[in-house]
Amino acid sequence: MPRVLLIEDDRETANEILAELVDRGFDVDWAATGIEGLDKARAAKADAMIVDRLLPGMDGLTIIEAVRQERVRTPVLVLSALGAVDDRVRGLRAGGDDYLTKPFAIVELIARIEALLRRPAESRDTVLRVGPLELDLLSRTAKRGERPLELLPREFRLLEYMMRRKDQLLTRAMLFEEVWNYKFVPHSNLVDVHMGRLRRKVDTPDEQPMIHNIRGEGFILRAPA
Amino acid sequence: MHLPEFTRTTTFRWTLVVSGAFTVCILLMFGFVLAQAYSYMTADVDGFIEGIATAVVARNPDRRAQRVDEHLAVDPHRVKLGGLFAGDGSRVTGNIESPPAALPADGRAHLVSLIRIDGSERERQTVRAVARRLPDGGTVVIGRSEYEFAWIVDIVERALALGLIPALCLGLATGAFLSVRAQRRVEEVNRRVQRIVTGELRERLPTQGTNDPFDKLAVLVNGMLDEIEALVRSIAGVGDDIAHDLRTPLTRVRISLERGRQNARSVEQLRATVDQAIVSLDQSLAVITALLRIAEIEHGRRLSGFRSVALAELVREVGDLYEPIAEDKKIALVVAAKDEVTVNGDRDLLFEAVANLVDNAVKFTPEGGRVELSLSQADDEAVLRVRDTGPGIAESEQEFVARRFYRSEKSRCNPGFGLGLSLVAAIVKLHGFRFAISPGPGCVAEIAGQRTPG
Repeated sequence: MPRVLLIEDDRETANEILAELVDRGFDVDWAATGIEGLDKARAAKADAMIVDRLLPGMDGLTIIEAVRQERVRTPVLVLSALGAVDDRVRGLRAGGDDYLTKPFAIVELIARIEALLRRPAESRDTVLRVGPLELDLLSRTAKRGERPLELLPREFRLLEYMMRRKDQLLTRAMLFEEVWNYKFVPHSNLVDVHMGRLRRKVDTPDEQPMIHNIRGEGFILRAPA
Repeated sequence: MHLPEFTRTTTFRWTLVVSGAFTVCILLMFGFVLAQAYSYMTADVDGFIEGIATAVVARNPDRRAQRVDEHLAVDPHRVKLGGLFAGDGSRVTGNIESPPAALPADGRAHLVSLIRIDGSERERQTVRAVARRLPDGGTVVIGRSEYEFAWIVDIVERALALGLIPALCLGLATGAFLSVRAQRRVEEVNRRVQRIVTGELRERLPTQGTNDPFDKLAVLVNGMLDEIEALVRSIAGVGDDIAHDLRTPLTRVRISLERGRQNARSVEQLRATVDQAIVSLDQSLAVITALLRIAEIEHGRRLSGFRSVALAELVREVGDLYEPIAEDKKIALVVAAKDEVTVNGDRDLLFEAVANLVDNAVKFTPEGGRVELSLSQADDEAVLRVRDTGPGIAESEQEFVARRFYRSEKSRCNPGFGLGLSLVAAIVKLHGFRFAISPGPGCVAEIAGQRTPG
């Protein structure tokens, strides 16, 4: 049972997040102040941390930096009311941690925590496999079973990202940030349209679908049952 | 002591300082001239009386008195003095009462005080005089008053009175006038600033078109006030627009929740209601997020992230991003970026701006239409152009399209939050580029900015 430490000073927000985490089967711990949070983070009993950036008298990032100096590698999801993505946050992202701007959908938060907990192992394999799906990273080719898939470069990256995170809910924002590297959320249903194209190539009508659209939440890649 | 207000101004103080320095210089100059004149005249007088005294001594003893009398004979200005005294000090002839004790009989001229007698009149005078001892034990004293010098001093005094004093008065008066004028302007500015502070935003500082530093400053401040006024008004307008754009989805949320609560017969129906409410709430949140984003860009905190951006690649990326959507809508999306053009800027923001323009164009162009995204260079500028065959923007509305939240009425039926163009305008402004929307057959949006070599 993964254990999540939440450092958030607003009791109501904390309660909502904790309740949702418990519903999803997480073990939770809560710290309402930066000092308390720092102590609990140092104990390093959590598998992931959610840290509010704006704590009374302290920037949440300071806690993370302090903890990192003590070589505690617990992955962190930072919550912030600030829209600005500054250099400190960029550094955070480079370190494999994540950042979420308030207000956010609770689904988005859960998806990102799951992603942090199940960070893909740094595999040296040059061929990724999910069920009948095979992606050759060297020759940049893909096939489902014996059927080759003609993928555009962006579609290849999208599929690679999804195969590394199979069985995991990927929200539109996550895909847009990670596959397209853009931070703004487009108005149009950009991700859906691109995903639709990839889906038509991966799942033909007579095959069992592998890319699943979870309504209002995001997409999951699963091996056919 | 209570001094008038203007005496405290810098202008007036400087006037005082300059006047003072001027006076000191004039006095020094006159003093120097006087000293020179005095030493010249003294040398002249001294030579003259020393010569007479020598001549008296050189005469026969019985003709000495006659020589002294000759000296005194022609003296219309009563400036000459002379006296011949016997060994016992008694006066033989002349108009000096007695040989002055302070005058050494060395044949040299000195400044001494003595008593002149004219008949019964006695008068103490300070004069240049020379004394010489006679072989018979008597003394001869020859003197001359410094009448001309006193006269020159008199003239100088009058010149000073007639020249310096009016000049000083004029200086002080000018200083006072300038100070009072500056004081008045400051008071006027003060009064108007007070009115601006109390909320009278249309008030401006007075300008006289004289182009003096004060005027230039006033023009500068007025320009600043124009900008502030425009900002305050746009914020006020935005307030109304926010209220409207948030109220619409929030009202929908409220109604659907209310109806769902009353009418839902099953959990499924209730869920559908809640889903609908969440979609509307997400719209409200998107409005707020977009607003914050615009504010963040307008604050310009990202200037440090500026570097060279290759636009052709960026344009092709935007094309790739929107091509599937355009195809779904059966719109031809044509990307033309032959030459590589670079500008100095923030790549993410520029991408966002171009993506927004294409997003808008694709959204507003009806099926079967055409959207062109092109990159070209004109002179030293890079020009990004998005042309569509949509309904375009009415001329009367072009001015307002970049205002936050404004959405042309024709587009009200389309989803979107009306903030796209405001966002583009904010990004363009941050880069110091130009943004223009003009009617083509449909709508032409153009971003133009200084390109960098290479």
